Amino acid sequence: MLARTNWLGEFFKHGVLLAGAIVVLLPFYLMLSYSLKSPHEIEANVGGFFGSQEIMTDQRCVKAGNPEEDCLMRPIVYNYTAAFKEAPLVRYMLNGVFVTVTIFIIQVIVALPCAYALSKLRFWGRDVVFGMVIFCLLIPVHAIALPLYIMLAKVGLTNTYGALIIPWSISVFGIFLMRQFFMTVPDDLIDAARMDGMSEFSIVWQVMLPTAIPALLAFGIFSVVAHWNDYYWPRVVITGNKDLMTPPLGLRMFKSDMDGNEYGPMMAATTVIVMPLVIIFLLAQRRFIEGITMTGMK
Amino acid sequence: MGKSRAHYWFIGPAVALMLLLLIMPVFVAATLSMTDYSLGNSSFNWVGIENYEKLFSRRSYQKMFSASLTYVLVVVPISVALGLGSALLISSLRIGGELYKAVFFLPVMATLLAMAIVWEFALNPIVGVVNDVLRSGCDISWIHSMLSGSWLGYEPATSWYGAACIKKFPLWLGDKQYALGTIAFIGIWQGFGFNMVLYLAGLTSVPRELYQAAHMDGADSAWERFKLVTWPMLGPTNVFVITISSIRSFQVFDTVEALTSGGPSKSTYVMVYAMFEKGVKQNLLGIGSAITIVFLAFVLILTLVQVYFVNRRVHY
Repeated sequence: MLARTNWLGEFFKHGVLLAGAIVVLLPFYLMLSYSLKSPHEIEANVGGFFGSQEIMTDQRCVKAGNPEEDCLMRPIVYNYTAAFKEAPLVRYMLNGVFVTVTIFIIQVIVALPCAYALSKLRFWGRDVVFGMVIFCLLIPVHAIALPLYIMLAKVGLTNTYGALIIPWSISVFGIFLMRQFFMTVPDDLIDAARMDGMSEFSIVWQVMLPTAIPALLAFGIFSVVAHWNDYYWPRVVITGNKDLMTPPLGLRMFKSDMDGNEYGPMMAATTVIVMPLVIIFLLAQRRFIEGITMTGMK
Repeated sequence: MGKSRAHYWFIGPAVALMLLLLIMPVFVAATLSMTDYSLGNSSFNWVGIENYEKLFSRRSYQKMFSASLTYVLVVVPISVALGLGSALLISSLRIGGELYKAVFFLPVMATLLAMAIVWEFALNPIVGVVNDVLRSGCDISWIHSMLSGSWLGYEPATSWYGAACIKKFPLWLGDKQYALGTIAFIGIWQGFGFNMVLYLAGLTSVPRELYQAAHMDGADSAWERFKLVTWPMLGPTNVFVITISSIRSFQVFDTVEALTSGGPSKSTYVMVYAMFEKGVKQNLLGIGSAITIVFLAFVLILTLVQVYFVNRRVHY
């Protein structure tokens, strides 16, 4: 029954999926295209994907008192230079990298030993702690943003890197995931390490950590994607201080600071912020999809 | 093991952080929801259940509940159906499945706030490409007659498209009739690929033999195979996908904050945005905390419903 080729059916399925793909890709296409075109071409919806790239005058450069011949440039150059000049994009990106990487490292440092203890050590109260982990899985962190914000404000931590990082230092989901993974690691491995006189501490970091790399990678993808893209939490704890803003928050500021119709520079900034993850995703697609599905159980 | 005390060091930090950052905030919110607390004030008054009474009686909060529930009730069924549909189509393809999978998953990865801004440009009533394309369809007679229904003999002006061609196309985010639907559309666009990969994972776990057995029993059409084998076997995946979609769509914030700020006339005033506006922007932490508690209750109910269904349906 499966050998029967149904070309008509295949053709029809591709038609439906292709239509869906066009809608899904539309904003990505527009984002890239607008970031290349001149303001006039964007407003009139002409010029195809690349626009004509005719030399244009940078009005702001003229207003700043420069001679007009110094302010001539191609739209693509104008859009991207304006994006980096108007907003501290580099700073936003560095903040984003710093915050996401720090969060992930702290999450691993906290979760890995705990997961090891919960799966491989026997001690009084272990089930209570595990029950607590399960209970905490039910609490969506975004829902308790307000009390967390109050607590951080009370200790004077709002508008600091600490505010961006501390609330995410505990990932009960990471503990859960690592515990499930460690359950599959044979006890012999640990017993052998103990025979060799390794301390429990070195067992965690020298024996368990290397075996956990696949699970850590999946968790890492999940954690980095979530925090690079997170807008809600930075919006709550960072008010106005551009030096601390992460990429999504910085982009939001760019949007509200924007005077007139600077779609081109705006879309150039959007492209710069969206593309890193998209490119990494396209390069390591299977791993990403596996990682996010596996951790999707959150 | 015996006398080793290592586990204290291993679980200590995690337990302390769980208590401090996850469990304590719930109690803080519960307590503050019965006060009129504001940051910067040295003291506060106990107001009992006054905040909750406001929440369930004032019109603006009724709009909040209705916006959140409508959003969830629109986004969940459509994004689940699209996720399942695309998973079924992709898994039955001979070639090109991986490509569609990557494309549909792209919005899940991309920064939602950034893509929301792009959608806002696309939906701009004057320079946006969406209305531009719709408008240009009015002048092409076969598109116009197909979309307005006049090829079936209907009066063009009575259909949505025909009427819009004569007058004008919607303002989308600026029109209170369309704003929530538009926000929901962006939510569906962003989220259905996630459901798709969960369904693709679920589909690979359906045993091949069952399809052969169904074939023996005379289930020849794709629909019958789906009804007899695929759908029942996807039971656990369904429960999981629906719950996770509901919890995620209850948390919608980025698109609302960036594109509509809850408006026009509170038509997109969803719960997490209300929590942010009352608590952070207006420093009304009592009422904000009350919204937090109601929100947590909703999420808890959804999770308990999931647990109930998983326990009931796990024995096939």
